[in-house]
Amino acid sequence: MLSRIAESLFWIGRYVERSDGTARILDVHLQLLLEDPWIDENTACRSLLSVMGSDDEGDEPVTRGDVMNLLAVDRTHPASIAYAIASARENARRAREVVSTELWECLNTNNARMPRKVAGDKTHEFFRWVRERAALAIGIVDSATSHDEAWQFFTLGRAIERADMTARLLATRSLTEASGPSWTTILRSCGAYEAYLRTYRGVPSTKNAAEFLLTDRLFPRSILYSVRRAEECLREIDPRLGRAGVNDAAQRLLGQIRSEFEFRPVIELLDTLPEHMEEVQAVCSAASDAIRQRYFPTSAVPVWIGETS
Amino acid sequence: MATLFDGYQERTHATRSRRNVTSPFDEMFADLAKTGTPRTPYAEIHRALAQMTQEELRGRTDALAESYLAQGVTFDFAGEERPFPLDPVPRVIEQDDWAQVEHGVAQRVRALEKFLADVYGPQLAVADGVIPAGLISTSSHFHRRAAGIESANGVRIHVAGIDLIRDEAGAWRVLEDNVRVPSGVSYVISNRRVMAQTLPELFTSMSVRPVGDYPYRLLNALRASAPAGIDDPTVVVLTPGVYNSAYFEHTLLARLMGVELVEGRDLFCSAGRVWMRTTAGPTRVDVIYRRVDDEYLDPLQFRPDSVLGSPGMLLAARLGHVTIANAVGNGVADDKLVYTYVPDLIRYYLHEEPILPNVDTWRLEEPAALEEVLDRLDELVVKPVDGSGGKGLVVGPDASADELAELKNKLIADPRGWIAQPVVQLATIPTIVEDGMRPRHADLRPFAVNDGNEVYVLPGGLTRVALPEGSLVVNSSQGGGSKDTWVVGERVRRSGNQPVDVAALVANQSALTTHDDIEPAHLEMDSHMPEVSPRDFDGDARTRQQIEQQQQQERPIQSGGVPC
Amino acid sequence: MSRLRVVHRTGFTYNLPAQASYNEARMLPAHSGDQFVLSTNLDISPPAIQHSYIDYWGTRVSTFEVLTPHTELSVTATSLVEVRPSDAPTPGASWEDLASLAATSVHFVEHLRPTRLTAPHEEVERLALASRQTGATPHETALVLARAVHERIEYQRGVTGVHSTGAEAWTAGKGVCQDFAHVLIGALRSLGIPARYVSGYLHPKPNAQIGETVTGESHAWVEWYAGDWFGYDPTNMLEIGERHVLVARGRDYTDVSPLRGVYAGPSASSIFVRVEITREA
Repeated sequence: MLSRIAESLFWIGRYVERSDGTARILDVHLQLLLEDPWIDENTACRSLLSVMGSDDEGDEPVTRGDVMNLLAVDRTHPASIAYAIASARENARRAREVVSTELWECLNTNNARMPRKVAGDKTHEFFRWVRERAALAIGIVDSATSHDEAWQFFTLGRAIERADMTARLLATRSLTEASGPSWTTILRSCGAYEAYLRTYRGVPSTKNAAEFLLTDRLFPRSILYSVRRAEECLREIDPRLGRAGVNDAAQRLLGQIRSEFEFRPVIELLDTLPEHMEEVQAVCSAASDAIRQRYFPTSAVPVWIGETS
Repeated sequence: MATLFDGYQERTHATRSRRNVTSPFDEMFADLAKTGTPRTPYAEIHRALAQMTQEELRGRTDALAESYLAQGVTFDFAGEERPFPLDPVPRVIEQDDWAQVEHGVAQRVRALEKFLADVYGPQLAVADGVIPAGLISTSSHFHRRAAGIESANGVRIHVAGIDLIRDEAGAWRVLEDNVRVPSGVSYVISNRRVMAQTLPELFTSMSVRPVGDYPYRLLNALRASAPAGIDDPTVVVLTPGVYNSAYFEHTLLARLMGVELVEGRDLFCSAGRVWMRTTAGPTRVDVIYRRVDDEYLDPLQFRPDSVLGSPGMLLAARLGHVTIANAVGNGVADDKLVYTYVPDLIRYYLHEEPILPNVDTWRLEEPAALEEVLDRLDELVVKPVDGSGGKGLVVGPDASADELAELKNKLIADPRGWIAQPVVQLATIPTIVEDGMRPRHADLRPFAVNDGNEVYVLPGGLTRVALPEGSLVVNSSQGGGSKDTWVVGERVRRSGNQPVDVAALVANQSALTTHDDIEPAHLEMDSHMPEVSPRDFDGDARTRQQIEQQQQQERPIQSGGVPC
Repeated sequence: MSRLRVVHRTGFTYNLPAQASYNEARMLPAHSGDQFVLSTNLDISPPAIQHSYIDYWGTRVSTFEVLTPHTELSVTATSLVEVRPSDAPTPGASWEDLASLAATSVHFVEHLRPTRLTAPHEEVERLALASRQTGATPHETALVLARAVHERIEYQRGVTGVHSTGAEAWTAGKGVCQDFAHVLIGALRSLGIPARYVSGYLHPKPNAQIGETVTGESHAWVEWYAGDWFGYDPTNMLEIGERHVLVARGRDYTDVSPLRGVYAGPSASSIFVRVEITREA
């Protein structure tokens, strides 16, 4: 298929997943601030911004409101939900002929209804709206699109973004050391709590919860699941990748991180969780770049200038 | 008992006070007063309609509009998206009558093909005195950069839209030739589909010739003109993009033909060939069905600021490595001054008498003609030779004294730039308007596809109706409407819609590329900021240029209004 | 007869690399009645695949693309040409002949129409009309007009530019060979004498030393039709002979630019040109 279209679908997948993932992270942590008066708001918010790659350089104390302004409603900030929603729509416009009317209307509506400000007491509602709209978009694609190359690129984008987002969420665990979100909170924010209970039964222990979110093969938000899903998409897109001796940078990167998660004991991973979560994010970024170079190498469209001698 | 046609011949006071002119030919009724006696081709329609009330028919019309809105068959009206207007009463043309149109249009296309080959080649028609030497070189669409470029099978006019009218005597005449980027066929296909769904009873007894064949014919013709030696040519539809008002048509045709829809940015030219950027690497393109104007196709040859094309495209065509359809430079044949010579060209190139006559036209660059026309400016229709979308057209009887004085100056300053025609009373056809069923002026655009061996004329075409009473303006952006056009009376030969083997069209076309493995330099990230997708930095220029693309579908008809 | 070696190097430089460029060069002379090309070729740096074709005006065009980032695009045309003065008789058509000619071929019509660059200043039109009324033949009138243009415009660089019109140069009273040609063409066409713009090279020295390489120039002159096509250099008041090498013809400068292209890149481009001519025989 046309590179331009594949690229747009890939990014729609990434942005939809990003808006969902960001909403989950913010929801969990802002809720925590409300519930636990002992947490220092400034420290917690700064750490949150840091996890989302948006460190605040200033000296002023950072508040919940600042976090909301920057990461929820700022349309110009690449890490914000508003940016992700606008970009998803923008990419759908670029690929208009392939994107179904239903999906276009969904993304378009998301963008149109995205608020410019969210009142302090409405944040939870807002995050729920974001998650619902993301689920709707994903549902439209999953149920009403043939699982052809277009679907593969969309799903690939989602898988990579999800691995990245889950890694960020887990990285917040070690944010404020003892007072970071509990495993229960983290599981709940992935919608994973009930699934966890069915698998492990009992109160989440560090090891079990980590195992579940890092390496469970069946739960869709586990990092291992997302990485394997991404690998699967790559194989579907180019069936030659399954055979021995065929090299592909993205496959290799994802394969390496997958092996690590499949075979390293969870205890070891937990020892240096922040480093490992950073590694996951780095791999996702590198894999995305490798995918770009392979399938949509020239995004920048030249603008021509005439010259005469 | 009130019937649908009550008050059919009524006119409002405004048009009643117009000057006396001949009555137009009405498609359905020989005598407007006798709306119980339709002409033969309309007998069945009339019978079906006579059993409906106005409310029922309006209800069907609304259903039609809703269907179109939902499907996205819309056009842009002052920034608002409106359903493409379709009137439920079809135009019916009997096969015998149609045969003349069919042969006449095909003849016209054949003559224009030879004309274009001659004009961009030996220019014999000038040497033989058939056309004056100045005619071609002064045409603004004569693109010298296209001289010497020929497709493998010599076809230049893959798709033509020849606009016709019926005059007061009911005879067909050619109003205009459109051989650059004619549009509107998607509405023909959509109109037919939705008519069959919304008004099924009208289809049952009449054998209406199908139009569904068109995409298959077009695809065949495009493949037939591919560079020699290619077994399975890759055809693409090149569109300006989503902001172009004909975008719906581009996507529909690409989809029905089973070919890729590309924009200029998906293509690049290298080593004398055209390639498209796909996930399997660069894929060679063999035929480009382009819906982009000449001047935007190749920044190296034409406008350097164009973002809708790709530099090097004309070179690839010149080398015979890609076919551009329709060919670059066809606009010379669209020129309204050349139009006046077409009957002579038919005789010269084909040694045949023209089957379809022109509308009588004065060439204002001839001094005697200019004098006569200046004398009767308030009775005639004057058109710029170069115009598209009816820009600059003046209808004498409707113009003010000031407008006529201004026009006179323009004509004297640049006579080669104008032609004049008498006010022809276009045929009228029953159309649902506010007051009920009323006669409204209409024209017809049949579409022709040239595959190099024969010229296929789509049975029917797009009938466009001027909705305001007495109006001559049919473009949708000014309130025009359309009608499905049925050619009937022949046992329908079910050639059937050949299923296009889409898989075969797109399979195995990618050149196997070896990918240099790109090792990412390092796995440490400088920042944890989430990555962003590429943006369209030329977004504004792209949007503007897409909208600027000429829309040849839009054109008002010149003619007078309903008689007093 | 003289044998001239011409090395014409031109191109574009960019501060920041251009990512891609597509170009057309009209720098290679062709055979004609009075000119015989012994050898001619185009070198491009960075290396690029060339395709060549003959354009509508009969000029040989080399087209090439560079699709890798580069800060300089350099094109060098090296030609070895033998030229001799024309021995054709003086063109002797009458004004009536010319009038009837106009109708017979598209080529003549195209060389009679004014273009943006050649549309004559009204003083030039009056001047042309006055010359016409003296009763001289078209050819003689053309020569008179060439002199008039030469005397009115002072050769000076830097006043006009590549996009300047003949009328602007006339008003300024200063210009380069391109302007001389445009003004004269405007005057000739206004009288119904078909005239075309010619680009090529001029050996600057009348008595050129054999083997001496001098800095020459990309030059422009005029050909008019008065029964036959006749070339004349109004900048130097010379008939076309042993010092001129013809490369391209057209209606005005825009049809014959030596190097024309489009590029994609962040910075503006600067042009460089150098012509070296050596008389070898």
